[in-house]
Amino acid sequence: MGVRRGLIANQPFITTRIEAAVDWARKNSLFPLPFGTACCAIEFMGVVSSQFDLSRFGAEVVRFSPRQADLMVVAGTVVYKMAPILRTIYAQMAEPRWVISMGVCASSGGFYDDYCTLQGIDQIIPVDIYVPGCPPSPDLLLDGLLKLQKKIDERRLLEQS
Amino acid sequence: MSHPNPDRVRGHLGPDLLADCSSHGDLVYAVRRSGSRRVLQALRDDPELRFDMLVDLAGADRLHLQQRFERFEVVYELYSLWNGWRLRLKVPVPEADPHLDSVHDLWKAADWAEREAFDMFGLHFDGHPNLKRILCHHEFVGHPLRKDYDRSRGQWCATTETLEDELALRHQSEQRRARAEGLAEPSATQISERMLVNIGPSHPLSHGTLRVLVELEGETIKHAIPEIGYLHRGFEKSAEKGVWNNVIPYADRLNYVSALSNNVAYVKAVEKLAGIEVPDRCKFIRVIINELSRIMDHCVCNAANIVDVGALTNFWYLFTVRENIYKVVEKLTGARLTNSYARVGGLARDLYPGFADEVRAVLKESMPFVRDVLKLVRNNRIFQERTVGISGISAAEAVSYGWTGPCLRACGLPLDARKRDRYYFYDQFDFDVPVGENGDAYDRIMVRFEEIFQSQRIVEQALDKLPEGPVNTAQNRFVLPPKQEVYRDIEPLMNHFMLVMFGTPVPPGETYDSFEVPNGELGFYIISDGSGRPYRVRVRPPCFYLYQAYPQIIEGSMVADMAAALGGLNVVAGELDR
Amino acid sequence: MGFAPLALLVPVAILVPLLMLGAQRLLAPKRPDPTKASTYECGSPPLGTAHPRLPIKFYLVAVLFLLFDIEVVFLFPWSVLASKLGWMGLAQVLVFLGVLEIGLLYVWRKGALEWE
Repeated sequence: MGVRRGLIANQPFITTRIEAAVDWARKNSLFPLPFGTACCAIEFMGVVSSQFDLSRFGAEVVRFSPRQADLMVVAGTVVYKMAPILRTIYAQMAEPRWVISMGVCASSGGFYDDYCTLQGIDQIIPVDIYVPGCPPSPDLLLDGLLKLQKKIDERRLLEQS
Repeated sequence: MSHPNPDRVRGHLGPDLLADCSSHGDLVYAVRRSGSRRVLQALRDDPELRFDMLVDLAGADRLHLQQRFERFEVVYELYSLWNGWRLRLKVPVPEADPHLDSVHDLWKAADWAEREAFDMFGLHFDGHPNLKRILCHHEFVGHPLRKDYDRSRGQWCATTETLEDELALRHQSEQRRARAEGLAEPSATQISERMLVNIGPSHPLSHGTLRVLVELEGETIKHAIPEIGYLHRGFEKSAEKGVWNNVIPYADRLNYVSALSNNVAYVKAVEKLAGIEVPDRCKFIRVIINELSRIMDHCVCNAANIVDVGALTNFWYLFTVRENIYKVVEKLTGARLTNSYARVGGLARDLYPGFADEVRAVLKESMPFVRDVLKLVRNNRIFQERTVGISGISAAEAVSYGWTGPCLRACGLPLDARKRDRYYFYDQFDFDVPVGENGDAYDRIMVRFEEIFQSQRIVEQALDKLPEGPVNTAQNRFVLPPKQEVYRDIEPLMNHFMLVMFGTPVPPGETYDSFEVPNGELGFYIISDGSGRPYRVRVRPPCFYLYQAYPQIIEGSMVADMAAALGGLNVVAGELDR
Repeated sequence: MGFAPLALLVPVAILVPLLMLGAQRLLAPKRPDPTKASTYECGSPPLGTAHPRLPIKFYLVAVLFLLFDIEVVFLFPWSVLASKLGWMGLAQVLVFLGVLEIGLLYVWRKGALEWE
């Protein structure tokens, strides 16, 4: 993060770059929008509950409005009927916004290779992190969140979203 | 399952009877489509037979089957609550003229079921008020469950339906009703002043993918139009892809909150069709996992329902119960949520040593959480104001809609397939069936809480009585032999090869079998052509019929009551939309 | 005590929001888009107008709430100094409350507190 410590008149201070500070703030206070459709949504509920506790990572405030969220967790199969809705809700989120594709159905259609299932949400929206599993165990989703936090750290302020 | 007097049934069928297709212990008749409506009405209205519940209405495309009357067939599964009798009627429909009479006014359950048959097969039900697609999107062309529709041919959908056409229909029927009752009709300005709110697929209230368009006058709901199909993943078409055991992972994901129950329901139906006898140990284990699944499902349902009403603490408590049971289930099956544990002819593996003690310990640790939650909500004034008297439905209406499970029991009818059909030694267990009084949201929640305690009793008794022995059937051709034998002798090797490559040798035929899953009666109507691959696997989803009544139970209430109403129905989209 | 704490509070109250808005102006990405600005209705196209005529009940509830809320606000200064104002102060406050309670009784009897 580029933090530098020093002392002025025996009072400690730290210096950092704005980008690092802003990214630190953003990654530690992600507001998830759980776009939960299927079984992965139940595992997401499990991640949010007390045993696995998503709020340790700052992502406790779950908001269902795209205007109030910055991380969309697509948890579950997205079918062609749902695709326009997903696209609209993603478009209504304000930048900076990230997407975690939770589960294999959201990442690639899963084992539903048929007439109604979208074969991966990356066909309609950009995805930052793919979390495999059917459903992924909560530990795996937390790992995905940590990877996303690392990804947020590596961005530069001027090229956002 | 018991049956009525065949002569009395035949008396009603009269000249429209095509053939007697009874098999596998079911009473089945094929009926000419010109007389199908008359026959169904007579069977419903007969004072002795009283087939007051339409359990399922399914279509089938018999294109590749040898034994058929016409290309399509509509299958009506009827049930008489009063007598406990079942009857199936098959109505052949030719491809050139796919029309038959609608029965939506005889049983309200038929409304959506006929729309689904239209959507999937292209069968037109004359007289249906709103015959449009229900599961596939409105830009879809073709009928996917027909055998000539290529399974992988997906069709994009660019826009979401606004549902204004259904709203117009509702306005018309509202005006008709006002005229009939002699009340003032709502004027055009009055209608235009109402607010239209779309409580759509991505909403905390909607439990996933349910969409309801509500027309509000102030806070009161005047019309509610639900739309489903936002999780239609093509279960029934995918089931025709592989062999019989390949359907089990798909079945897991039907009611994904209680996946173990769905496994058992499916394999039980296949075993009925193939005439496979499973050993007693297998049956007891299936009972145990079914009841554990019931506890988990009711915990999630009540947790979500109570959270929607506003009490968040209970969510954490009940999810801890679920996590505790997950530990045992994960050790047994390898997965937490979607465990493909049952197999046709038995189970994937036997119990691990120490299972019984661990289950007992887990239940002992978890029941105080459930009791605490019950203590928190039962006498809470706010909770009672939000759920007592809300979204009630009468028992007669519920039966017409095809309700089963805890929601029907909350209306006062003690219908439980475990007590009625007496499979898997349920008649040897001592447990009660909790029954509500008013059919409102409060009763539904309380019935589920009571069922958790009853399930605990069943699990304890089953663990005590668990016999030793094999878990797979002795009929070798249906189950995979142990690996040691496969590597040693030629016969088990051939057995293994045939099963994996060509599937379980289920003989040709068809049957319907049901099972009491936490949500109600999960039925499977399966047709086999003898090839080792399923020909048709139709799921009778309990929440499809529960959700159909949703507009009726919320119209006239306030918007805030929608949450209490929907949570109690436990609508799981995986099962609703398949 | 005087007004010294107020002299500290008011500049902070003005400065903090200005800082937050300023930081947002400098650091936040700006990418306006018609879809982004469209009405949110769970992804489906919104129907009907955004400003329908609402029933008068909502207005009634809002006005009643406002009135009694202001009443409570007036009670705060008295409650801070209740012991100093003594019995005379209590009597005056009770008279104040009594006048407003007559209004509440009127509203109650007229049925304005019922929703339907």
